[in-house]
Amino acid sequence: MTTARQQTPIAFAQQRLTPKMTVAHGMEIPLEFSSAEIEHKRKASLGICDVSCFPRFGVKGRNVVQWLKENKVEIPDPNSWVQQGDSLVLRLGNGEFLVEDQLEGKLCAALDGAVMPEAYGVYKIRRNDAALMLSGSHVRELFSEICAIDLRDGALLPGKLVMTQMAGISATVLRQKFNGEDVFRLWCDGTYSPYLWDTLLKIAEEFGGGAVGLSCHFKEMP
Amino acid sequence: MKLLKCPVNGVRPLSEFVFGGEVREMPDPNTCSDQEWAGYVHHRNGAPGMKKEWWYHGPSGTWFIAERDTMRDEVARTYLYGQEDKQ
Repeated sequence: MTTARQQTPIAFAQQRLTPKMTVAHGMEIPLEFSSAEIEHKRKASLGICDVSCFPRFGVKGRNVVQWLKENKVEIPDPNSWVQQGDSLVLRLGNGEFLVEDQLEGKLCAALDGAVMPEAYGVYKIRRNDAALMLSGSHVRELFSEICAIDLRDGALLPGKLVMTQMAGISATVLRQKFNGEDVFRLWCDGTYSPYLWDTLLKIAEEFGGGAVGLSCHFKEMP
Repeated sequence: MKLLKCPVNGVRPLSEFVFGGEVREMPDPNTCSDQEWAGYVHHRNGAPGMKKEWWYHGPSGTWFIAERDTMRDEVARTYLYGQEDKQ
């Protein structure tokens, strides 16, 4: 008997690129699409990395802020985010939160196991996101082609996030410093992600960029 | 491009929003007359003018109310349900 393993929601669109796969947090995810040299060139121009394997925890409700405080989570302002250790805490609007652990984060597992009394006004949200990391000198040009709102540095301030549409798909976007460089993070519903991946990749290739694997951003990956 | 202001996310293109119908007070079905109830279920006011409408911002899942002049298609203001006085 074999155990079913989770696949990244973008797996279908990535198949034709025949990436070398790895398993992170129980999910099969591309480790490398091409040689390290090519991927680093892509990353500098416009690199698109699938990081859907990071654990995520969604929660909302009337008493969500109080519940998160009790569980020692930093509370950002509405439509803002904070980094807590190796985890990101996103506040989506007023009363909904998305927590994402990066490779070493443990916050999602702690919150998932935390006591959540019934009738308390706190509800878990099952997340089925595709998560991407976009990097390189041409990212803002990519956004200008697929998004109606201004995402230049002066408009998308550090610590702020936006919920908008990218190529017609509802997405959450923020800008973060990662390993000393500016990267954009993007989350969208997993079922739309093969379409979004193909669309982003087409534009990225025009700028000399393309798909990059986890190992391009995370040196510690095997 | 038409724009609409979401009370939570700010000004966005209209393509991010979905119209949710006019805001209508539901009469108490236990105490109202059959005529009042039938009017609530079946009748709509199609006359143009300043109306309160439900709108939905898709990417963030926010329902809010817009006061819109349906004759001129001009939005006077938008606010979250129950926060009319705060705007």
